[in-house]
Amino acid sequence: MDAWWQCEIPYPFVDKAITDAADSVRASLPNRLCDPKVAADLFHEVLDEFALCDELGMNVLCIEHHAGINSLIGSNPMITGILARQMRNVRVLSLGTLISLRPDPVRVAEEYATADCLLRGRFEIGFVKSGGTEIASSNMQPVNNEERFWEAIDLIKKTLTSHDGPFSWEGKHYTHRHVNIWPGPYQLPHPRMWAATGDPRSAAEVGRRGMTHVLVLRGPEGTKKAYEAHRAARREAGLPKVTTDNFAYAAMVYVGETEEEGIEGGTKLLWFLNTSLKSAPQYNKFLPGAAPPQAAPGLYRTKPRAAAGLALTDAEKGVAPASQNAQKLMGLTAQEAMQQGILFAGTPDSVHRQIMEFYDKVGGFGHLCLIGRSGYMTHEESKKGIRLFSKEVLPRLREVAPVEVG
Amino acid sequence: MPTETITNRIAIHGIEMEVLRSGAGAPVLFLHGFQPAPPRARFLELLGRRLQLIAPSHPGFGGTPRPKDFENVYDLLHLYTQLIEALGQPRLSLIGSSFGGWLAAELALRMPSRIERLVLVDALGIKVSDRETPDILDIFNTHPDKVRAATWHDPRHAPDYDAMEDAELIALHRSREALSLYGWHPYMHQPRLAWWLPAIKAPTLVLWGESDGIVKPSYGEAMARLIPGARFARIAAAGHHPEIEQPDAFADHVIGFLAR
Repeated sequence: MDAWWQCEIPYPFVDKAITDAADSVRASLPNRLCDPKVAADLFHEVLDEFALCDELGMNVLCIEHHAGINSLIGSNPMITGILARQMRNVRVLSLGTLISLRPDPVRVAEEYATADCLLRGRFEIGFVKSGGTEIASSNMQPVNNEERFWEAIDLIKKTLTSHDGPFSWEGKHYTHRHVNIWPGPYQLPHPRMWAATGDPRSAAEVGRRGMTHVLVLRGPEGTKKAYEAHRAARREAGLPKVTTDNFAYAAMVYVGETEEEGIEGGTKLLWFLNTSLKSAPQYNKFLPGAAPPQAAPGLYRTKPRAAAGLALTDAEKGVAPASQNAQKLMGLTAQEAMQQGILFAGTPDSVHRQIMEFYDKVGGFGHLCLIGRSGYMTHEESKKGIRLFSKEVLPRLREVAPVEVG
Repeated sequence: MPTETITNRIAIHGIEMEVLRSGAGAPVLFLHGFQPAPPRARFLELLGRRLQLIAPSHPGFGGTPRPKDFENVYDLLHLYTQLIEALGQPRLSLIGSSFGGWLAAELALRMPSRIERLVLVDALGIKVSDRETPDILDIFNTHPDKVRAATWHDPRHAPDYDAMEDAELIALHRSREALSLYGWHPYMHQPRLAWWLPAIKAPTLVLWGESDGIVKPSYGEAMARLIPGARFARIAAAGHHPEIEQPDAFADHVIGFLAR
């Protein structure tokens, strides 16, 4: 098993009275509340933490979110570019530029090919469907977001694998009559591709495409069902079995010297759930396309009726958008988060045990993505957690070899 | 005896369109806004007393299916061009409410010989103010409570979601999806339409709810100024839907203009 460390670079330093009064802490909060001097310190601290991961041999990944206290990484390619030069040993995963929100996937392919060359082939490409508050920030149409997602992936893949001069693309969402990037990617045919998704329909598509499938904070049941949908789709398509290396799970992780220190660190990570997920109804349940029309009775009524429509809390049926999953996550305690498999915290032994218990519950995975710093966790605390995980937990995870799953 | 509003279907280019019909006489095509006209709306019955009203639901709205990839105003304009041909009337009038007003103005430009008269009601479709001043409230990006307050003069006219049946709420949500496809970008307007409005030949009445907070009466006045000879009238105590909030005043204006 491999491990990938990340920090979304949240900006928690906004008065609680302001975030309590705001209907959303993403998309619409004024940026006067974000001091660029503090942001600069945060960027440099986190880049130093990525460098520490590189020194200790832990892979890194970089996400993207727009206009909110949850993350200052609005520009994934910028941070990916820095990592591409500064990481001398480990692999780098961009997870990723929000492609369905970018008007030109060819430009994204160009950025990714550049990163792969800088890293001499230690680069991996991740795709995230996005939605919710990101839609407001991007101006992009939400209902056909998923169509754009797959078409953009197709176009990026075609761009990265074409080496014989310009080709033309006239798709439904993207037209680009002259595609010819220099350089192409370092890895042939192209860097490994990941996709983060939880709903069964897109999980199946991730499976058919043979991408590395990452589930973020979905807990054991949702994760297992998504992995199964991935494998079932491959079986139905007559595709060969895959190994656990095709599966990844992202959770909050903090390792301390003692159980108390680990859980205290883990508790700090919960800020991400308790404070940074708050978003207004127009950015989630009422956003067109976020939930299927059959879910409408549960969305619009203020007083639920008996047997009214579909139960929207049932993310596993594929009717709940990520925002509904988010609502379930708000307000968790560390113990609850640990029980639900979205936080692994404690001593190295304890964290290793929690990870492997989760591994067994979901049928195995080959990559653990660590949400390693969040909220008010300090630079020093973050570095301590990285050191302990890398030295005490990661070597044991590396012993878990890929196994065929079908 | 009150006129009856009936629902039937007209197949246009393979799309089974749901159509409300009311009354007899001079034909009038009503193009709805963010939601289809409720079949029991009083204004339909009032207009039906003097006019032959034909009120289709746009694809994706009400009971009209939306074919795959049918998702922009280009599609809608072809569809309504075909529908107007299929109705077989040498000439008819158009009433366009809100988003449907945009379609009606476009159709008046595309089919000048077929359109008798044009009524635009709290219509969208053009850019009026400077580039940093939105003319039309972003109903997708604004808190639903604010959208509701901006839509209605008297919020008691707003739909009561708790009282609506599942099927009605599902249709409402489908309509929002379709609307967001048609009107997301550029938001609820065609940047070139204002330049073309002076070419409208049909006599035009522009009606506006005085309390409309989705798109203000000053926008309607600007629209009326661009259309040669257009009359502008406000309807008091009404928001974005004067046809719902003040059906009698609305019908008086429309019948006075169309049923002559």
